[in-house]
Amino acid sequence: MRRTDMRQLWTMTASDLRQRVRDKSVIIFALLVPLALMFVFNLTFGGAQDVTLEKIDVAVSMPDGDQLAAALVAAALDSEAVQVNRTAAPADEIRGLVQSGEVAMGIVVPEGFGAAVTAGQEAVVDVVQGDQGELEGAVVVAVLQSVLDRLAAGTVAAIAGGQLGLPHDQLAALAQAAATAGPQFTLTEGEASTEQLSSSATLVAGQAGLFLLFTVGFGVLGLLAEREQGTLARLRSMPMPPGLIVAAKGLVSYILGVVATTVLLVVGGRLFDVSFGSPPAVAVLVLCVVAAGVSLMFIIARVARTAEQATVSQSILAMVLGMSAGAFFPITAGGALGQLMDLNPIAAFMRGLGITNGGGGIGDIGTPVLIMLGFAALTAAASRIVPDRGADL
Amino acid sequence: MTTNLAPDRRRPSAEASPDDVLVVDDLVRRYGDLTAVDGVSFRIAPGETYGLLGPNGAGKTTIISMVAGLIPADEGTITVLGQPVGPTRIAVKRHIGLVPQELAIYPELSGRENLTFFGRLQGLHSKDLAHRVDEVLDLIGLTDRAKDATKEYSGGMKRRLNIGIGLLHRPTLLILDEPTVGVDPQSRNAILESVEALSVEGMAVLYTTHYMEEAERLCDRIAIIDSGRFQAEGTRAELIRLTGELDQIRLSGSGAITAAADAIRALPAVQQADADRHTLVLTVRDAPTAVAAIVTAASTAGMTLSDVEISRPNLESVFLQLTGKALRD
Repeated sequence: MRRTDMRQLWTMTASDLRQRVRDKSVIIFALLVPLALMFVFNLTFGGAQDVTLEKIDVAVSMPDGDQLAAALVAAALDSEAVQVNRTAAPADEIRGLVQSGEVAMGIVVPEGFGAAVTAGQEAVVDVVQGDQGELEGAVVVAVLQSVLDRLAAGTVAAIAGGQLGLPHDQLAALAQAAATAGPQFTLTEGEASTEQLSSSATLVAGQAGLFLLFTVGFGVLGLLAEREQGTLARLRSMPMPPGLIVAAKGLVSYILGVVATTVLLVVGGRLFDVSFGSPPAVAVLVLCVVAAGVSLMFIIARVARTAEQATVSQSILAMVLGMSAGAFFPITAGGALGQLMDLNPIAAFMRGLGITNGGGGIGDIGTPVLIMLGFAALTAAASRIVPDRGADL
Repeated sequence: MTTNLAPDRRRPSAEASPDDVLVVDDLVRRYGDLTAVDGVSFRIAPGETYGLLGPNGAGKTTIISMVAGLIPADEGTITVLGQPVGPTRIAVKRHIGLVPQELAIYPELSGRENLTFFGRLQGLHSKDLAHRVDEVLDLIGLTDRAKDATKEYSGGMKRRLNIGIGLLHRPTLLILDEPTVGVDPQSRNAILESVEALSVEGMAVLYTTHYMEEAERLCDRIAIIDSGRFQAEGTRAELIRLTGELDQIRLSGSGAITAAADAIRALPAVQQADADRHTLVLTVRDAPTAVAAIVTAASTAGMTLSDVEISRPNLESVFLQLTGKALRD
């Protein structure tokens, strides 16, 4: 490219950017609206999806020296699911403590609990729950229930041993072993799990991706508006290669897209306490998704006959791609549809942010980057093939 | 078919000359089955204003688009200062200034910013550019409003700026496509005065319009175009001679109009008389002299007159005669 061409390219790009800033439409649609939507959606969905459990006060009564009772209480209250302030209290005071609000819940393990379990007899554990910490209490009860189920397995083992004629001391050992043994299966957090964005991060990333498809339209689709207002004819009468006009519009789209997406991720991240991880990796993802968005706009500019048609097409594509990527709520699909959705550049962008959010760096985002760049290359090629009905590109 | 005028009746500038700024030869442009421009040829000399006069859809803007290098011609050649013109011919575009029919200015930018922007694209820089922008602002009378966003300009001011941008780089050939459409009479007059001044400065001007008065006032030579073809070309006087220099008298009224038409046809000055229910349209030689006898004949035949209108031949009547339709159809 000649030096004169570069100068003309920059003249057109700078002038277009200046106009976009002055008419404020780009600031409204590329920044304010998505930030407002992030805020609204975060209020609506964020709280429901991201639950933070508070510490809970629990009063416990259990027989001294009963190992199974101690194991039961430890398993229920020392789990990582919920943090507990444990208080020992006599059984007859537990209900009073809960009713007075001094503790959120109480657990009463009856005398002879361990002996009953090992003998295969019924034992009843009382749980008293107050108005406070309902959710945390429910978690404790769920954990307690799971431990009791395991103890019930010990009881069943003891009964089976008795029916087989085992001696009493062996039956007790068998029941205790079955009741207190660790789980036979372990759950390890997998890759998909660690790469999932939180609901707030999903909203920020999703809105940034969705509104990117509106933002990049301010450059490329401006060709149609320029044709309608006559400035395109004047630009084409200037002593410069016709392709320079298209290049300038593409550059405007790209700059606006990169700036707006970066601002949305940074501001959204600050507002909703979200971090997307490695800045260089996030920057690569932003550059790639903007390239994909800009390429898509060139197809619209070729196919649409008027600026109005282009705006409608742009809105439909943005909503379809944004929603199928999960910009508003998670969407899953299997089979061919699922594979098709995986090729969505906004979905790839969000998946890439999930990887960086989970600690991944540039070396880990190869797949989403390839999807976005592949999409950009394909749509750019397609934009040269589809009939030019609009901007005379 | 183009009406050929005898070479000795044409202005010297109509003759082919190596000094011609613009030479258009046998230009053709098709859109599918439609031939929008069909075998058009013309030349413009330095300092000459050449008019394309025709109704909307006649092919004027298509010709201009090809001459400005916006679209390619399917057949024929265009040269400006001897250099071929086309969408990919970059260098020759420095010699051409285009004033599109639409207001090709950016509403968010000020008048000065619009001029500066297009000046930079034309290759003007730094002090040269700033100086020329000041000159043009002064020329189009917008110095006081130079810093205002053009979206706050009146229609006439926008039109003047539209022209100013075309003039900015001092083109050898200025193309004006219907520059006065939608302009108030005062601004129109200012625009026409500016164009007159340009030809005095030696600029070649290609001017399209469907306003007969503008073509008559501005253009040294005029091509009458309809359906993509030149119907006639020449100076105003040459074109009017094509009508036989006959005047038109229109009689409006009631009563025995058919009988009046018959009586009037018998008068020696009357070449033609067409009647409808309330009007008689007469083609006559020397209308001011003949009108008294015509009115007397109509009254005697039993027609009650309510209005008498005399029209001298003009480009409108030339167009009507050549194409069978009015310019504003």
